[in-house]
Amino acid sequence: MTTNTEEFDFETDALAFMDQLYAAALRMTRNGADAEDLVQETYAKAFAAQDKFTPGTNLKAWLYRIQTNAFINTYRKKQREPKRTDADNVEDWQLASAATHQSSGLASAEQTALDSIGDDQVRNALAELSEDFRMAVYLSDVEGFAYKEIAEIMDTPVGTVMSRLHRGRRLLREKLREYAAEHGIYDHRAGS
Amino acid sequence: MTKRQCQEAVDRLFEFIDGELTDEELLRIGAHLKECPPCEAELRINEKIRLLVSQAHGEKAPHQLRERVLSTLRMAREESV
Repeated sequence: MTTNTEEFDFETDALAFMDQLYAAALRMTRNGADAEDLVQETYAKAFAAQDKFTPGTNLKAWLYRIQTNAFINTYRKKQREPKRTDADNVEDWQLASAATHQSSGLASAEQTALDSIGDDQVRNALAELSEDFRMAVYLSDVEGFAYKEIAEIMDTPVGTVMSRLHRGRRLLREKLREYAAEHGIYDHRAGS
Repeated sequence: MTKRQCQEAVDRLFEFIDGELTDEELLRIGAHLKECPPCEAELRINEKIRLLVSQAHGEKAPHQLRERVLSTLRMAREESV
């Protein structure tokens, strides 16, 4: 590997996030070749715009923001996954949550089923979510970004981030339940 | 415990899990979650899913990507001199 002792700190610091940017790019593009291109483009853009970065602020979130923009501008059209316009209704998750908790039998069966779910099923379930839900859940669950940071990365209000997280996680849970039921490891009639 | 407390706990469960509540909200909702088994079960399920999602991801950048990026940055640096 080539190293250059004259590299800027910016560059060294930014390169430390490559694994994370690549993993996020895989969630965005859903294929390895496009994910690599996207990460390369992200670093090229970040390098060109490094004067706009304020040292001491959140470099990781800044890079994710660049990558998200690059994805929207370059790959979304190519992938023909239209941006869903129904993803941003802030109130409907609140209405939907009128269904509160479930019977203890069902909850217990679901917890047991989750213990049998494998990484592949979880990745597939997340990949099936629409882009906005998928990325909100990913940025929160995997990267641990705060709602405010996700809002900046996705260029959307915090309320919309919360809506995407609520709906994305509920859909994800539903998909995991369906998977478990199909494989006989979750009986939705438990507790009845 | 009341239905209203359950509703608040379930509505704000993700904010609880994500550490987005104020101290006062955290104490109030946390106290309810401890004393209400169905709400606590919801918490456990959602925490488990969050953990599963976190554990299922985390791919490493391929070696050739690292080389490509370093090469791109090297060229950009040379052009900017």
